[in-house]
Amino acid sequence: MNDNIFTNLYNKVLGFFRQTDKEENAKDIACNRLRVVLMQDRTNLTPELMERMRKELIELLSKYVEMDKEALELNLEQDGDQMALMLSIPVLRARNEEEIEAELAAEDAEKEEVLEAAEDSDDEPDENQTEAETENEDTDESEDNKAVDIKVPDKEETSSQEEEKTKK
Amino acid sequence: MQTCIKPEPSVLDEKDKKGETMSGRVIVITSGKGGVGKTTTNANIGTALAKAGKKVVMIDTDLGLRNLDLLLGLENRIVYTIVDVVEERCKLKQALVKDKKNPNLCLLAAAQTRDKTAVTEEQLKNICEELKKDFDFILVDCPAGIEQGFQNAVAGASEAIVVTTPEMSAVRDADRIIGLLEAKEEIKSYKLLINRVRPNLIKSNDMMSVEDVVEILSAPLIGIIPEDTGIITSTNKGEPIVNDEKSLAGKAYKNVAKRIMGEDVPFLNLEEDTGVMAKVKKFFSGLIGKEK
Repeated sequence: MNDNIFTNLYNKVLGFFRQTDKEENAKDIACNRLRVVLMQDRTNLTPELMERMRKELIELLSKYVEMDKEALELNLEQDGDQMALMLSIPVLRARNEEEIEAELAAEDAEKEEVLEAAEDSDDEPDENQTEAETENEDTDESEDNKAVDIKVPDKEETSSQEEEKTKK
Repeated sequence: MQTCIKPEPSVLDEKDKKGETMSGRVIVITSGKGGVGKTTTNANIGTALAKAGKKVVMIDTDLGLRNLDLLLGLENRIVYTIVDVVEERCKLKQALVKDKKNPNLCLLAAAQTRDKTAVTEEQLKNICEELKKDFDFILVDCPAGIEQGFQNAVAGASEAIVVTTPEMSAVRDADRIIGLLEAKEEIKSYKLLINRVRPNLIKSNDMMSVEDVVEILSAPLIGIIPEDTGIITSTNKGEPIVNDEKSLAGKAYKNVAKRIMGEDVPFLNLEEDTGVMAKVKKFFSGLIGKEK
């Protein structure tokens, strides 16, 4: 019991001297704020652009791995003299070959469609019409992408949900 | 009018005696943010280098807002300015104002009545080239900001000292300046000078430490200057603080000058004792309000 009293006292005394270190102090706040603002100054990347980059990366990487999108972290950090773009992705499950191939095949097909549409528009003299068409296709495509984004965690299960969404 | 138009032969004609030309180092002193102590740094490093026997010329490029003359106490001696030189109303050597005490130290003053466009980058480069022949060190005092005045000041220099303080805005601006300096091919090296350091505030974690600033800017350090009320009185008297043997800031500036000359001088220890006893002392001195 004596031991306890002494360790308690010891900790209290130490705590008294360490008090200032524990709270977040003005110096740490300044350092952290500066680091963030300097990263923005140095790269010209606004928070909006960083968010967009994050989304695009998720889109790209989802083709190959299943990941926890909420937990994906994308940060600029300073590593000595060098700036580093740090991407941390918690992987839930590696996709199997078939899934990846299917995904890539779908993407290739999409690309071809776009290309064909572009070629078509070159061939056809009626410009107004084709422009309208390609615009439509563009918007369709982006919607598709968003859908892909949502359903990635488990493709088969969510396909029905996705249908519901599109209905709404 | 008191004038000092003609520099001492001992300063400018040394090359004739030696039979060879000198090649001085051109160092620009810059900061981005105003009020962090560029001009004070310039006056003190210049004076310290001159006291160490080097031939030094300071160029004030802050056209329209000149102050280096005041800090050196030379405001009444200026006859010609840098604008008179580039507009060929006088020779370069005529425009150099010699220091009151130290014949090794000269000032090329800025024009007070003109703006930053009165001198071009090319003209400043030429002036620096010309002065290199006669002086060991050419210190260029840069105006605040990153506009033409900065571009001009940097044009002739091959080294830079970036002055900052442990404050967010000063550090941010210093970072910007470092970025611009890195993009300049002529600037071969730049060093950081952290001014107005307050050990007590750093100690209580209320101010960023020198280490924090160095880490954030990742630039090599050439000097740490403590906050010193003596700077105010020295400015008022027109007498750089390096002339005050007792001043800690003066000592720190002298050390910077030594480092510029290639000496390996350790940084002054501005921090107090960090043992438990010091903490206890601080606690009690805080209670009776006599903390120092």
